[in-house]
Amino acid sequence: MKITNIKFWQLITIAALVILMFSNSYSQRQQWYGALTYSVSIPSGDTKEFIDEIGWRGIGLDYRYLVNKNVTVGLYFGWNVLHKRSEELTQLETDPPGAIYGIQEKTINSFPIMASAHYYFGERKKIRPYVGLSAGGFIMLQRYEIGIFLFDNDQWQWGIAPEAGFVIPVERDFGLILNGKYNMAFTGENAVGKEVNNAYWSINAGFVWEP
Amino acid sequence: MRKTTFRIIILLSFTIVILQSCYPGEELTYSDTDIVATFYNKDVNFATKQTFAVPDSIIRIDENGNPVSDPGPFDQQILNKIKSELLALGFAEAAAPANADVLVIAAVTTSTWASGGCYYSWWYPGWYPPYPGWCYPVYYTYKTGSILIAMLNANANEAESGLWIAGINGLLGDSNTSTSSRINRDIEQAFNQSPYLGDGK
Repeated sequence: MKITNIKFWQLITIAALVILMFSNSYSQRQQWYGALTYSVSIPSGDTKEFIDEIGWRGIGLDYRYLVNKNVTVGLYFGWNVLHKRSEELTQLETDPPGAIYGIQEKTINSFPIMASAHYYFGERKKIRPYVGLSAGGFIMLQRYEIGIFLFDNDQWQWGIAPEAGFVIPVERDFGLILNGKYNMAFTGENAVGKEVNNAYWSINAGFVWEP
Repeated sequence: MRKTTFRIIILLSFTIVILQSCYPGEELTYSDTDIVATFYNKDVNFATKQTFAVPDSIIRIDENGNPVSDPGPFDQQILNKIKSELLALGFAEAAAPANADVLVIAAVTTSTWASGGCYYSWWYPGWYPPYPGWCYPVYYTYKTGSILIAMLNANANEAESGLWIAGINGLLGDSNTSTSSRINRDIEQAFNQSPYLGDGK
Protein backbone atom coordinates (compact mmCIF):
# COMPACT_ATOMS: atom_id res chain seq x y z
CA MET A 1 0.00 0.00 0.00
CA LYS A 2 1.59 3.25 -1.11
CA ILE A 3 0.39 6.18 0.95
CA THR A 4 1.97 8.53 -1.58
CA ASN A 5 -0.48 7.36 -4.23
CA ILE A 6 -3.60 8.43 -2.39
CA LYS A 7 -5.81 10.55 -4.57
CA PHE A 8 -8.19 13.23 -3.51
CA TRP A 9 -11.32 11.23 -4.27
CA GLN A 10 -10.02 8.33 -2.19
CA LEU A 11 -9.70 10.63 0.81
CA ILE A 12 -13.23 11.91 0.21
CA THR A 13 -14.52 8.34 0.13
CA ILE A 14 -12.76 7.47 3.36
CA ALA A 15 -14.07 10.64 4.99
CA ALA A 16 -17.59 9.70 3.90
CA LEU A 17 -17.16 6.25 5.42
CA VAL A 18 -16.01 7.73 8.71
CA ILE A 19 -18.98 10.08 8.83
CA LEU A 20 -21.36 7.28 7.96
CA MET A 21 -20.03 4.82 10.48
CA PHE A 22 -19.54 7.10 13.46
CA SER A 23 -22.39 9.49 12.99
CA ASN A 24 -24.99 9.28 15.78
CA SER A 25 -27.64 11.37 14.11
CA TYR A 26 -29.25 8.64 12.10
CA SER A 27 -29.05 6.05 14.83
CA GLN A 28 -30.82 8.32 17.29
CA ARG A 29 -33.70 9.09 14.99
CA GLN A 30 -33.75 5.62 13.42
CA GLN A 31 -34.92 7.11 10.14
CA TRP A 32 -31.76 6.60 8.18
CA TYR A 33 -29.56 3.64 7.78
CA GLY A 34 -26.41 2.99 5.95
CA ALA A 35 -24.86 -0.04 4.32
CA LEU A 36 -21.25 -0.70 3.51
CA THR A 37 -20.51 -3.63 1.24
CA TYR A 38 -17.66 -5.45 -0.39
CA SER A 39 -18.49 -5.79 -4.05
CA VAL A 40 -17.49 -8.38 -6.61
CA SER A 41 -18.27 -7.51 -10.21
CA ILE A 42 -18.98 -9.86 -13.11
CA PRO A 43 -18.83 -8.22 -16.53
CA SER A 44 -21.69 -8.69 -18.95
CA GLY A 45 -22.55 -7.68 -22.52
CA ASP A 46 -20.23 -5.14 -24.13
CA THR A 47 -18.15 -4.91 -20.98
CA LYS A 48 -17.54 -8.66 -21.08
CA GLU A 49 -16.31 -8.34 -24.65
CA PHE A 50 -13.70 -5.89 -23.40
CA ILE A 51 -12.80 -7.58 -20.10
CA ASP A 52 -14.02 -11.11 -19.52
CA GLU A 53 -12.68 -11.45 -16.01
CA ILE A 54 -14.31 -11.12 -12.59
CA GLY A 55 -13.41 -7.97 -10.71
CA TRP A 56 -12.52 -8.70 -7.11
CA ARG A 57 -12.02 -5.11 -6.09
CA GLY A 58 -15.09 -3.17 -5.20
CA ILE A 59 -16.99 -1.35 -2.55
CA GLY A 60 -20.53 -0.06 -2.18
CA LEU A 61 -21.98 2.59 0.05
CA ASP A 62 -25.71 3.03 0.60
CA TYR A 63 -27.52 5.70 2.53
CA ARG A 64 -31.23 4.97 2.83
CA TYR A 65 -34.06 7.01 4.33
CA LEU A 66 -37.06 5.20 5.77
CA VAL A 67 -40.24 6.53 4.14
CA ASN A 68 -42.29 3.94 5.96
CA LYS A 69 -41.62 0.52 7.43
CA ASN A 70 -41.37 -1.08 3.98
CA VAL A 71 -39.92 1.61 1.75
CA THR A 72 -36.65 3.50 1.66
CA VAL A 73 -35.25 6.08 -0.72
CA GLY A 74 -31.63 7.04 -0.74
CA LEU A 75 -28.32 7.31 -2.45
CA TYR A 76 -25.94 4.69 -3.71
CA PHE A 77 -22.24 5.13 -4.36
CA GLY A 78 -19.90 2.42 -5.50
CA TRP A 79 -16.57 1.58 -6.98
CA ASN A 80 -15.84 -1.52 -9.02
CA VAL A 81 -12.56 -2.34 -10.71
CA LEU A 82 -12.42 -4.64 -13.72
CA HIS A 83 -9.00 -5.52 -15.01
CA LYS A 84 -7.45 -7.97 -17.40
CA ARG A 85 -3.88 -8.44 -18.51
CA SER A 86 -3.43 -10.71 -21.48
CA GLU A 87 -0.96 -11.52 -24.20
CA GLU A 88 -3.11 -12.13 -27.22
CA LEU A 89 -3.63 -11.66 -30.91
CA THR A 90 -6.44 -9.27 -31.77
CA GLN A 91 -7.89 -9.31 -35.25
CA LEU A 92 -8.49 -5.81 -36.59
CA GLU A 93 -11.61 -5.35 -38.69
CA THR A 94 -10.13 -2.35 -40.40
CA ASP A 95 -9.55 -1.49 -44.04
CA PRO A 96 -7.03 -2.88 -44.77
CA PRO A 97 -7.64 -5.75 -42.36
CA GLY A 98 -4.94 -6.80 -39.94
CA ALA A 99 -3.99 -8.13 -36.58
CA ILE A 100 -2.08 -6.87 -33.57
CA TYR A 101 -0.21 -8.89 -31.00
CA GLY A 102 1.15 -7.83 -27.66
CA ILE A 103 0.56 -7.61 -23.96
CA GLN A 104 -2.67 -5.80 -23.30
CA GLU A 105 -3.85 -4.24 -20.08
CA LYS A 106 -7.53 -3.39 -19.96
CA THR A 107 -9.03 -1.63 -16.97
CA ILE A 108 -12.40 -0.17 -16.10
CA ASN A 109 -12.98 1.76 -12.90
CA SER A 110 -16.72 2.18 -12.51
CA PHE A 111 -18.14 4.60 -9.95
CA PRO A 112 -21.93 4.32 -9.83
CA ILE A 113 -23.64 7.38 -8.33
CA MET A 114 -27.37 6.86 -8.10
CA ALA A 115 -30.60 7.67 -6.36
CA SER A 116 -32.31 4.55 -5.09
CA ALA A 117 -35.65 3.23 -3.92
CA HIS A 118 -36.19 -0.10 -2.14
CA TYR A 119 -39.17 -2.11 -1.01
CA TYR A 120 -38.75 -4.55 1.91
CA PHE A 121 -40.86 -7.61 2.51
CA GLY A 122 -41.58 -9.05 5.93
CA GLU A 123 -41.17 -7.40 9.30
CA ARG A 124 -38.40 -5.47 10.99
CA LYS A 125 -36.03 -7.45 13.19
CA LYS A 126 -36.46 -10.46 10.92
CA ILE A 127 -34.68 -11.48 7.77
CA ARG A 128 -36.12 -9.19 5.12
CA PRO A 129 -35.83 -9.78 1.41
CA TYR A 130 -36.05 -6.65 -0.67
CA VAL A 131 -36.04 -5.37 -4.22
CA GLY A 132 -34.88 -2.01 -5.43
CA LEU A 133 -33.94 0.16 -8.30
CA SER A 134 -31.18 2.72 -8.49
CA ALA A 135 -31.04 5.29 -11.27
CA GLY A 136 -28.36 7.77 -12.14
CA GLY A 137 -25.11 6.98 -13.82
CA PHE A 138 -21.55 5.87 -13.68
CA ILE A 139 -18.25 7.66 -13.82
CA MET A 140 -16.41 5.23 -16.09
CA LEU A 141 -12.62 5.41 -16.22
CA GLN A 142 -11.64 3.11 -19.07
CA ARG A 143 -8.12 2.35 -20.18
CA TYR A 144 -6.63 0.13 -22.87
CA GLU A 145 -2.87 -0.29 -23.02
CA ILE A 146 -0.90 -2.24 -25.58
CA GLY A 147 2.85 -1.94 -25.92
CA ILE A 148 3.77 1.65 -25.28
CA PHE A 149 0.39 2.87 -26.48
CA LEU A 150 -2.42 3.89 -24.21
CA PHE A 151 -6.02 4.74 -25.00
CA ASP A 152 -8.25 6.06 -22.28
CA ASN A 153 -11.73 7.40 -22.12
CA ASP A 154 -13.18 8.83 -18.92
CA GLN A 155 -16.80 9.78 -19.07
CA TRP A 156 -20.18 9.91 -17.38
CA GLN A 157 -22.57 7.21 -18.55
CA TRP A 158 -26.26 7.27 -17.63
CA GLY A 159 -27.70 4.07 -16.31
CA ILE A 160 -29.71 2.09 -13.81
CA ALA A 161 -29.11 -0.77 -11.39
CA PRO A 162 -32.00 -3.06 -10.45
CA GLU A 163 -31.30 -4.96 -7.28
CA ALA A 164 -32.55 -7.75 -5.05
CA GLY A 165 -31.20 -8.81 -1.70
CA PHE A 166 -31.63 -9.61 1.98
CA VAL A 167 -31.16 -7.68 5.17
CA ILE A 168 -30.34 -9.92 8.10
CA PRO A 169 -30.61 -8.32 11.55
CA VAL A 170 -27.91 -9.26 14.07
CA GLU A 171 -28.29 -6.76 16.90
CA ARG A 172 -30.74 -3.97 17.61
CA ASP A 173 -29.13 -1.52 15.22
CA PHE A 174 -26.75 -3.69 13.27
CA GLY A 175 -27.11 -6.33 10.61
CA LEU A 176 -25.76 -7.96 7.49
CA ILE A 177 -26.76 -7.26 3.92
CA LEU A 178 -26.39 -9.39 0.82
CA ASN A 179 -27.56 -8.29 -2.58
CA GLY A 180 -27.07 -8.59 -6.30
CA LYS A 181 -27.27 -5.70 -8.75
CA TYR A 182 -27.26 -5.47 -12.49
CA ASN A 183 -25.40 -2.29 -13.32
CA MET A 184 -26.37 -1.18 -16.77
CA ALA A 185 -25.28 1.94 -18.66
CA PHE A 186 -27.46 3.28 -21.47
CA THR A 187 -24.90 5.54 -23.06
CA GLY A 188 -21.19 5.66 -23.57
CA GLU A 189 -18.09 4.72 -25.47
CA ASN A 190 -15.35 2.30 -24.61
CA ALA A 191 -11.65 3.10 -24.20
CA VAL A 192 -11.06 3.35 -27.96
CA GLY A 193 -14.16 5.40 -28.69
CA LYS A 194 -16.52 2.67 -29.88
CA GLU A 195 -20.14 3.06 -28.76
CA VAL A 196 -20.99 0.51 -26.09
CA ASN A 197 -23.45 -0.13 -23.29
CA ASN A 198 -21.35 -1.11 -20.33
CA ALA A 199 -22.94 -3.64 -17.99
CA TYR A 200 -21.87 -5.80 -15.11
CA TRP A 201 -23.37 -7.79 -12.29
CA SER A 202 -22.25 -6.95 -8.79
CA ILE A 203 -22.57 -9.26 -5.82
CA ASN A 204 -22.40 -7.24 -2.63
CA ALA A 205 -22.03 -8.38 0.96
CA GLY A 206 -21.50 -6.20 3.99
CA PHE A 207 -22.87 -4.50 7.02
CA VAL A 208 -25.92 -2.41 7.65
CA TRP A 209 -26.72 -0.10 10.51
CA GLU A 210 -30.25 0.54 11.76
CA PRO A 211 -31.89 -2.18 9.68
CA MET B 1 -16.78 0.41 23.37
CA ARG B 2 -17.06 -3.03 21.84
CA LYS B 3 -19.20 -1.63 19.03
CA THR B 4 -16.77 1.21 18.36
CA THR B 5 -13.87 -1.22 18.12
CA PHE B 6 -15.85 -3.36 15.76
CA ARG B 7 -16.64 -0.39 13.55
CA ILE B 8 -12.98 0.62 13.49
CA ILE B 9 -12.01 -2.87 12.33
CA ILE B 10 -14.59 -2.72 9.56
CA LEU B 11 -13.50 0.76 8.57
CA LEU B 12 -9.85 -0.29 8.38
CA SER B 13 -10.77 -3.29 6.26
CA PHE B 14 -12.62 -1.18 3.75
CA THR B 15 -9.92 1.49 3.81
CA ILE B 16 -7.37 -1.11 2.74
CA VAL B 17 -9.61 -2.02 -0.16
CA ILE B 18 -10.06 1.63 -1.12
CA LEU B 19 -6.38 2.44 -1.07
CA GLN B 20 -5.56 -0.10 -3.71
CA SER B 21 -4.56 1.39 -7.03
CA CYS B 22 -7.15 2.30 -9.65
CA TYR B 23 -5.04 0.57 -12.27
CA PRO B 24 -3.82 -2.74 -10.88
CA GLY B 25 -1.48 -3.67 -13.76
CA GLU B 26 1.80 -5.42 -13.19
CA GLU B 27 5.23 -3.97 -13.84
CA LEU B 28 6.31 -4.24 -17.47
CA THR B 29 9.69 -5.40 -18.71
CA TYR B 30 11.17 -4.00 -21.91
CA SER B 31 10.05 -7.01 -23.92
CA ASP B 32 6.53 -6.67 -22.50
CA THR B 33 6.18 -3.44 -24.47
CA ASP B 34 6.67 -5.15 -27.82
CA ILE B 35 3.76 -5.11 -30.20
CA VAL B 36 3.47 -6.64 -33.63
CA ALA B 37 0.89 -5.25 -36.05
CA THR B 38 0.25 -6.59 -39.53
CA PHE B 39 -2.04 -5.46 -42.34
CA TYR B 40 -2.69 -6.97 -45.74
CA ASN B 41 -4.35 -6.09 -49.00
CA LYS B 42 -7.54 -8.15 -49.01
CA ASP B 43 -7.80 -8.01 -52.83
CA VAL B 44 -4.57 -9.90 -53.34
CA ASN B 45 -4.42 -13.65 -53.97
CA PHE B 46 -1.21 -14.65 -52.21
CA ALA B 47 -1.29 -18.05 -53.92
CA THR B 48 -0.06 -16.25 -57.03
CA LYS B 49 3.01 -14.98 -55.16
CA GLN B 50 5.54 -17.76 -55.07
CA THR B 51 8.97 -16.15 -55.21
CA PHE B 52 10.58 -13.33 -53.27
CA ALA B 53 13.63 -11.11 -53.27
CA VAL B 54 15.06 -9.29 -50.26
CA PRO B 55 17.53 -6.39 -50.74
CA ASP B 56 20.96 -6.72 -49.12
CA SER B 57 20.49 -3.77 -46.83
CA ILE B 58 17.97 -2.24 -44.51
CA ILE B 59 16.61 1.26 -44.82
CA ARG B 60 17.62 3.12 -41.68
CA ILE B 61 15.96 6.37 -40.73
CA ASP B 62 17.12 8.71 -37.98
CA GLU B 63 14.91 10.55 -35.53
CA ASN B 64 14.48 13.44 -37.96
CA GLY B 65 13.32 11.19 -40.77
CA ASN B 66 16.61 11.33 -42.66
CA PRO B 67 18.18 8.18 -44.13
CA VAL B 68 21.21 6.77 -42.33
CA SER B 69 23.92 5.08 -44.36
CA ASP B 70 25.71 3.26 -41.53
CA PRO B 71 24.46 -0.28 -40.99
CA GLY B 72 23.03 -1.18 -37.62
CA PRO B 73 24.18 -4.05 -35.40
CA PHE B 74 21.04 -6.12 -36.08
CA ASP B 75 20.55 -5.43 -39.81
CA GLN B 76 21.89 -8.74 -41.09
CA GLN B 77 20.02 -10.66 -38.41
CA ILE B 78 16.75 -8.97 -39.46
CA LEU B 79 17.32 -9.77 -43.13
CA ASN B 80 18.23 -13.39 -42.38
CA LYS B 81 15.18 -13.84 -40.19
CA ILE B 82 12.83 -12.40 -42.80
CA LYS B 83 14.25 -14.76 -45.43
CA SER B 84 13.96 -17.80 -43.19
CA GLU B 85 10.34 -16.98 -42.34
CA LEU B 86 9.44 -16.53 -46.02
CA LEU B 87 11.08 -19.84 -46.88
CA ALA B 88 9.22 -21.50 -44.00
CA LEU B 89 5.93 -20.24 -45.45
CA GLY B 90 6.73 -21.89 -48.77
CA PHE B 91 8.09 -18.98 -50.77
CA ALA B 92 11.15 -19.60 -52.92
CA GLU B 93 13.96 -17.10 -53.18
CA ALA B 94 14.24 -15.74 -56.71
CA ALA B 95 17.59 -15.99 -58.43
CA ALA B 96 17.38 -12.30 -59.27
CA PRO B 97 15.05 -9.53 -58.09
CA ALA B 98 13.72 -9.15 -61.62
CA ASN B 99 12.37 -12.70 -61.45
CA ALA B 100 10.63 -12.33 -58.09
CA ASP B 101 6.88 -12.08 -57.56
CA VAL B 102 7.31 -9.96 -54.45
CA LEU B 103 9.97 -7.69 -52.99
CA VAL B 104 10.29 -7.67 -49.23
CA ILE B 105 11.99 -4.63 -47.78
CA ALA B 106 12.73 -3.68 -44.19
CA ALA B 107 13.18 -0.31 -42.51
CA VAL B 108 14.37 0.46 -39.00
CA THR B 109 13.96 3.61 -36.99
CA THR B 110 14.45 4.69 -33.41
CA SER B 111 12.77 7.56 -31.61
CA THR B 112 13.36 9.29 -28.32
CA TRP B 113 10.23 10.40 -26.55
CA ALA B 114 9.81 12.87 -23.76
CA SER B 115 6.78 12.57 -21.61
CA GLY B 116 5.43 13.74 -18.33
CA GLY B 117 2.75 13.12 -15.84
CA CYS B 118 1.26 13.97 -12.54
CA TYR B 119 2.59 12.32 -9.42
CA TYR B 120 0.07 12.37 -6.64
CA SER B 121 1.35 12.81 -3.18
CA TRP B 122 0.07 12.98 0.33
CA TRP B 123 1.14 16.56 0.30
CA TYR B 124 2.76 18.87 -2.13
CA PRO B 125 6.47 19.27 -1.23
CA GLY B 126 7.23 22.46 0.59
CA TRP B 127 3.62 23.24 1.30
CA TYR B 128 1.96 23.37 4.66
CA PRO B 129 -0.71 22.43 5.55
CA PRO B 130 -0.94 19.33 3.36
CA TYR B 131 -3.04 19.55 0.22
CA PRO B 132 -4.18 16.02 -0.49
CA GLY B 133 -4.80 15.29 -4.11
CA TRP B 134 -2.25 17.77 -5.42
CA CYS B 135 0.34 16.46 -7.74
CA TYR B 136 3.72 17.52 -8.90
CA PRO B 137 4.94 17.01 -12.44
CA VAL B 138 7.45 14.35 -13.42
CA TYR B 139 9.27 14.19 -16.74
CA TYR B 140 11.04 11.27 -18.32
CA THR B 141 12.38 10.15 -21.67
CA TYR B 142 12.33 6.78 -23.32
CA LYS B 143 13.58 5.36 -26.56
CA THR B 144 11.59 3.15 -28.86
CA GLY B 145 12.65 1.08 -31.81
CA SER B 146 10.54 0.12 -34.79
CA ILE B 147 10.97 -2.34 -37.62
CA LEU B 148 8.79 -2.07 -40.69
CA ILE B 149 8.65 -4.97 -43.11
CA ALA B 150 6.80 -4.38 -46.37
CA MET B 151 5.93 -6.88 -49.07
CA LEU B 152 5.57 -5.17 -52.44
CA ASN B 153 4.38 -6.43 -55.76
CA ALA B 154 7.43 -6.90 -57.99
CA ASN B 155 5.32 -6.85 -61.12
CA ALA B 156 4.88 -3.19 -61.93
CA ASN B 157 2.10 -3.96 -64.40
CA GLU B 158 -0.26 -4.99 -61.64
CA ALA B 159 -2.34 -2.31 -59.97
CA GLU B 160 -1.68 -3.29 -56.36
CA SER B 161 1.84 -2.48 -55.19
CA GLY B 162 1.53 -2.84 -51.40
CA LEU B 163 0.58 -6.38 -50.42
CA TRP B 164 1.45 -6.74 -46.76
CA ILE B 165 3.11 -4.71 -44.04
CA ALA B 166 4.30 -5.55 -40.55
CA GLY B 167 5.13 -3.01 -37.88
CA ILE B 168 7.09 -4.01 -34.81
CA ASN B 169 7.54 -1.57 -31.96
CA GLY B 170 8.96 -1.70 -28.49
CA LEU B 171 10.99 0.06 -25.85
CA LEU B 172 14.75 0.05 -26.29
CA GLY B 173 17.21 -0.04 -23.44
CA ASP B 174 17.73 -3.69 -22.80
CA SER B 175 20.96 -5.54 -23.48
CA ASN B 176 21.98 -6.43 -27.04
CA THR B 177 21.35 -10.10 -26.32
CA SER B 178 17.82 -9.41 -25.25
CA THR B 179 17.20 -7.07 -28.19
CA SER B 180 18.45 -9.74 -30.58
CA SER B 181 16.09 -12.38 -29.22
CA ARG B 182 13.20 -9.91 -29.21
CA ILE B 183 13.83 -9.13 -32.89
CA ASN B 184 13.73 -12.82 -33.81
CA ARG B 185 10.65 -13.46 -31.72
CA ASP B 186 8.73 -10.49 -33.07
CA ILE B 187 9.56 -11.08 -36.75
CA GLU B 188 8.48 -14.68 -36.30
CA GLN B 189 5.24 -13.45 -34.70
CA ALA B 190 4.59 -11.11 -37.64
CA PHE B 191 4.65 -14.02 -40.06
CA ASN B 192 2.81 -16.38 -37.72
CA GLN B 193 -0.13 -14.01 -37.46
CA SER B 194 -0.25 -13.72 -41.27
CA PRO B 195 -0.93 -17.31 -42.36
CA TYR B 196 -2.59 -16.13 -45.61
CA LEU B 197 0.91 -15.36 -46.95
CA GLY B 198 1.43 -19.09 -47.25
CA ASP B 199 -1.73 -19.72 -49.29
CA GLY B 200 -1.16 -22.07 -52.22
CA LYS B 201 2.42 -22.95 -51.31
